[in-house]
Amino acid sequence: MKFIFADSLDYVDPAFDFIADRSPAERQPYWDDAYPHEILGYAPYDGVLVSRGIIGDHRVKGKYTSSQARRFHLVGARKFLRLDKPQFKDLDIFGDCGAFTYVQEERPPYSATEMAEFYDECGFTHGASVDHIIFDFDPAATGMAGGSDDAKARFDITLENADAFRREALAMDASFKPLGVVQGWSPASMAEAARRLVAMGYDYLALGGMVPLKSPEIKLCLEAIRDVIPSSTRLHILGFAKADDIDGFHGFDIASFDTTSPLIRAFKDAKQNYYLPGDGLALRYFTSIRIPQAIENPKLQRTVKKGIFRAEDLVAMESAALSALRAYDAGGADIDDVLQAILIYSAALVEEKSYAECRDSILLARLAVRYRETLMEKPWKQCGCPICATVGVEVIIFRGSNRNKRRGIHNLAIYHEHIERLDLKRAVHRPYDLSRSLCATKR
Amino acid sequence: MTYLAVCARQSDEHQVLTFAATAGDILRFATIDRIGRSAQGVLSGFQRPQVAAHIREIRDYLEKPNAVLPNPIVVAFIQGVTVEAREEGSARLQIDVSSGAPGLVVDGQQRLSALTELDRDFQVFVSALICRDEAELRRQFVLINNTKPLPKSLIYELLPSVDDLPPRLSRRSAAAEITARLNYENTALKGYIKQHTMPEGSIADTVVQKVVMESLSNGVMRELVRMPKGEDRCVKIVSNFFDAVKRVFPLDWHGHKPATSRLLHGAGIQALGDVMEVLAQRADARSIDDFEEGLACLKGRTAWTSGEWHFGDEVRRWNGLQNINRDVALLKHYLVGVVKADLRRRAKAAPAPLLDGLPDA
Repeated sequence: MKFIFADSLDYVDPAFDFIADRSPAERQPYWDDAYPHEILGYAPYDGVLVSRGIIGDHRVKGKYTSSQARRFHLVGARKFLRLDKPQFKDLDIFGDCGAFTYVQEERPPYSATEMAEFYDECGFTHGASVDHIIFDFDPAATGMAGGSDDAKARFDITLENADAFRREALAMDASFKPLGVVQGWSPASMAEAARRLVAMGYDYLALGGMVPLKSPEIKLCLEAIRDVIPSSTRLHILGFAKADDIDGFHGFDIASFDTTSPLIRAFKDAKQNYYLPGDGLALRYFTSIRIPQAIENPKLQRTVKKGIFRAEDLVAMESAALSALRAYDAGGADIDDVLQAILIYSAALVEEKSYAECRDSILLARLAVRYRETLMEKPWKQCGCPICATVGVEVIIFRGSNRNKRRGIHNLAIYHEHIERLDLKRAVHRPYDLSRSLCATKR
Repeated sequence: MTYLAVCARQSDEHQVLTFAATAGDILRFATIDRIGRSAQGVLSGFQRPQVAAHIREIRDYLEKPNAVLPNPIVVAFIQGVTVEAREEGSARLQIDVSSGAPGLVVDGQQRLSALTELDRDFQVFVSALICRDEAELRRQFVLINNTKPLPKSLIYELLPSVDDLPPRLSRRSAAAEITARLNYENTALKGYIKQHTMPEGSIADTVVQKVVMESLSNGVMRELVRMPKGEDRCVKIVSNFFDAVKRVFPLDWHGHKPATSRLLHGAGIQALGDVMEVLAQRADARSIDDFEEGLACLKGRTAWTSGEWHFGDEVRRWNGLQNINRDVALLKHYLVGVVKADLRRRAKAAPAPLLDGLPDA
């Protein structure tokens, strides 16, 4: 099972100074910063996925600057992502349209021909057909029942595009592997889409629209699809937000999936920000310590504008929390003292009140419990990855892109190992496949 | 706290004095009064919040041993000070800090914030202004902070002659230098660029700088400028490209201004900048002939001076394109699309050279 990382310019500055809290003044982000595979010295994934929508153009606002987008088109994906080194030559580069960026449109902004040319010119190894996301998932609908008019229109658009896309790729003798994207409003409609894609000639399918679905719903879809396609047909899950549940998906013979979740969780999750291997085949999670920049954090700045806090006082609280945490890491402070210093600053952030006014608040109490666990365990000292080994306690601080993304990259490394351990287990026994083949012989 | 100050004769209503102090001392006798409202909605204070990036840039500068900061921090007082006049325009200024800092920082809060982060003994001038009341003080704040910044094009033109600039400006400076050379040396754009000192030029200097800056940061000039005589190569490639543009579109170029031809307009120049990149990077174009060959496919498919642009499902009159991001991007996408399709077609017609003709093959 290949873990493909969905990139959106997720790099960090290797020269970042954590004590002065800044990058060198002459830093040029794209050029001086390091992608995960550069800062770690190895790739914490089996491939990278780049969405056309993330790159952006005059129709879709992407995340790249227009000049970065131009460079991507000119030099191609591998060189742009700096995966053009011998040690990365086997990494896959997947492409898709980034259908979430145009969900509101009636039709996708890209034509099948345009996308095929894009994948081919930019040197992708795999390219997904032009899909259109379908909403209002109904797990119970059977056959082609259910589905709004809009859902059905999108179903047809996705399949028409897939057909044109495959023909186009063949005609241009494209150097990438075309993937047919499955979209549907129910497990049965997805199975029907998959069946038609296989009939068109696809032997690698990508399941779209999985982001909002829960794990059991995704399993229903996979089951329905697996029932109607040959076992040799490979499956990819696009935007697999439930990546932490991946061990529950073993029996479905997933060839690959892409996700950004281990990176994103580092700074978008309320609790589970830092990964470590847990008991058995599980992962263990820790909450990172929120110490945002007093004069850059919008919420804190608002309290200054409203006159609740003085900027100078916030800066003092911030610096007290930072130095207490560093002292604790170095063995020079007591856990209760460091927790106190952090909570004093958290009060301003969470409750917009002074600590004295809200020390008994429920939010602060909850935060204190999670922070205490992180502080007790010192997980950053339990990890030997190049990030934790280099920056130590800074990785656990929720503050600015250089700490948050480093924590995310550490998570990618832990997650990649996690996937590899799962694959090892799978090689020994595959319960689902066994029961499947038994059923087949009974029939 | 006592300072020996110099007085200036300015107004009968105010006293104005100046003296030197460190940032630490200034914050002992003055506070930065940020604007806010009380729970009853009463306005207080006047300063905006700190701007982190601005402070950082000032600090970077001040950390250099040769840094100077001749312009003063302006501190206003309505109470807590006594001025004792001495001979020849000097005075002894006494500030009473026993019940807090009586002064308010009217101008220079970002500089002051940067100075407090600085780990060196650095004195700045303080201009003390003693006002009648709070209203007068706020009036001074508005007046002092409402100055008109210098025009950008004047600053940009001065940049190349200034060294030791912060990186933000030094990148602009490199582009401004190449732009100025394009305008004054024997190039295709000689005399065409409107600069502060070349007001009769027609193409905006900021537009040419944009093209050059983009190329320097993410395009062909990034590599060229690092080679021997790098800057000459950069000037040459732009000049060669625009010579080719003139050859391919003679009637849309000669005798025209941005208002009469989109070829000399901000949108056209920026879009052509992208075409230059495609040809330089994909087809290795460097000479006038190389660029002319690559541009030829655009003949008959442009509407620089009349007619209509056909951008897929969108049709625009020739002058319906403005120098706004969306229009520039639309034109870029169209022109680059035509040029790339042509490159593909020509590569297919002669597949061998592309693979075998590479320099190290």
